[in-house]
Amino acid sequence: MSKKKGLVISGVILALSVLIEAVFVDHHVEYWWHGLIGFDVIYGFVGCVAIIVISKKLGKLFIQRKEDYYGGGEKGDD
Amino acid sequence: MAEVKRAMIEFHPGFLLLIGALLAAVLPQRIRRTVMVLAPLLGIIAVFHLKYGTVWTYRFINQIDLVILKVDQLSWMFGLIFSIMALLGNIYALHIKKAGESAAGLAYAGSSLGVVFAGDWITLIFFWELMAVFSTLLIWYRKVPQAIGAGFRYILVHFCGGNILLAGIFIKVMMGETAITALTGNHDAGFWLILLGIAINAAIPPLHAWLTDAYPEGTVTGSVFLSAFTTKVAVYCLIRVFPGTEFLTWAGVIMALYGVVYAVLENDIRRLLAYHIISQVGYMVAAVGMGTNLSLNGASAHAFSHILYKSLLFMGAGAVILSTGRRKISELGGFFRRAPATVVLYIIGAFSISGVPLFNGFISKSMIISAASHNHMPVVELLLYLASIGTFLSISLKLPYFMFFGSDRGIKPEKIPINMYVAMAGGAFLCILYGVFPSLLYQYLPFAAEYEPFTMDHVISTIQLLAATLAVFWIFIPKLGGEPTVSVDTDWFYRRPLIYLVNAAVNGVLKIQEAAGVHGKRALSKINSFFANPLKWIPLSTMRPVEPVYSEDKYRFPVGIIILSGIMVFMMVLALVYWSV
Repeated sequence: MSKKKGLVISGVILALSVLIEAVFVDHHVEYWWHGLIGFDVIYGFVGCVAIIVISKKLGKLFIQRKEDYYGGGEKGDD
Repeated sequence: MAEVKRAMIEFHPGFLLLIGALLAAVLPQRIRRTVMVLAPLLGIIAVFHLKYGTVWTYRFINQIDLVILKVDQLSWMFGLIFSIMALLGNIYALHIKKAGESAAGLAYAGSSLGVVFAGDWITLIFFWELMAVFSTLLIWYRKVPQAIGAGFRYILVHFCGGNILLAGIFIKVMMGETAITALTGNHDAGFWLILLGIAINAAIPPLHAWLTDAYPEGTVTGSVFLSAFTTKVAVYCLIRVFPGTEFLTWAGVIMALYGVVYAVLENDIRRLLAYHIISQVGYMVAAVGMGTNLSLNGASAHAFSHILYKSLLFMGAGAVILSTGRRKISELGGFFRRAPATVVLYIIGAFSISGVPLFNGFISKSMIISAASHNHMPVVELLLYLASIGTFLSISLKLPYFMFFGSDRGIKPEKIPINMYVAMAGGAFLCILYGVFPSLLYQYLPFAAEYEPFTMDHVISTIQLLAATLAVFWIFIPKLGGEPTVSVDTDWFYRRPLIYLVNAAVNGVLKIQEAAGVHGKRALSKINSFFANPLKWIPLSTMRPVEPVYSEDKYRFPVGIIILSGIMVFMMVLALVYWSV
């Protein structure tokens, strides 16, 4: 599946779901964002970008090491 | 029906599995296979014949009563899922040839059931330690150096955790409280020690590194067992002992996100799945911290669902490792056409963990997130929601894309045994069954709370969240592939500095020994002449010959006198003790 196709598919699902939400959904509002149409789209988008960017940054800064960091015992051997 | 049940004899399901383990250890392979299926099957039947309220009590030393079997709704539900899991795991492992490994799997499952049905602390710690031992065997049976090392680190942490728990249990038993009761609200030493001991098994950061260190190093079939039991037994204990302990909510939220971050970076497929055990158990721990009926039901239900989908995912990963001989995302890819069944079954597990509607993760995860909202914890709700984005990203998109699809590396997967497919299909069937008919699970939930997962609101929100994640995944695809790195985690402390510390300590001791040898010898040679001839000590002796000659016979008591006096003193003490008692 190409990148373009993937983006089109997710875009179509998103558009449809927002439409359905706007027309049919009876919101159970505990906090203001529960009633906001399309909130989950924005949260999903921003949240996912944040997870990727922050994780990769933390990885580069602190977490990731070369594979032989613990004495070369990490190579696949099954 | 109830009348029929009453007439039946009740069996302890855990004991059935332990007996099965004993038989599996000694019987030849063909009969062993029958035992491996029959023992968990009888276990499931035994669970269905247990009645709420059954208690088996045995008098132990010092007027302590051991409650070996205590059935209530909570223990019954966990007993059911652990027996089902024992069956699936054993079917998955039917082809293995090592009798010891089969026995260890059965015994591990049996001792988990022992913990679940334990009614007092002493029974609990007994089975708790058994679990640690048998689970370590499942790692060691892979028999490569890195598995042996990981197994040693694993058992080091678990014996440490077990002893901390034991210390807490000593305090409780000495206070006369042998029965397992909720300790929420106490803040004595017993509370903290027991919490710490259980928290280690629940893999709450920073006490979690044993899990991600050891689970990917187990045998292909052993890791499936590992993924199911230890952490969920700990969750069961948290639900029972610490419901409503508030800071657990935040510990759970941190867990959920911690696993997500590491999973984005991880390259080893089973280690990635292991980080998402931590993330998912985070939801359960957070729910325990909230302590409402709905949240505790959510924790129980999510543990139930989690065991099914996580074992399915580990089975899928195991199938990939067994058929391709590779375990790194950066070395896999492009063979989805050559292993379609594995792909489909893995994807079912992945959709379940991501909480896609009509899969079983949805019906339990949404319960916990809703419980946070009902409990007026908007930040907890949003952060757990955020973690579910990460779950979908890593398990349903990154892992399958780079493992099965992506660039073709010309991998020709070998055939895997049919029993592995049967187990995966069984797990996948249950994931979908409970996802489509949640009432099958909800009817057994231990606390009184109503919940409806399939509201339009929930379903549409989830679809939007997941579709948005999908869009971001396509945009970031070049950045998300596996990188040939390892991630340092809190196990660093006992893998790196501890080694230097031990080396430094050993070297220090050696230095002292050496110095003591050199200087001691020098000093000894200086004073040696005096000891060789004590007469030199008496400079003004009149009897002194020109060169004093020391004779042992002349100047020392006969040895016999010393021995005789020793015996006499001993006899006198004995006589004194004898008459005074």
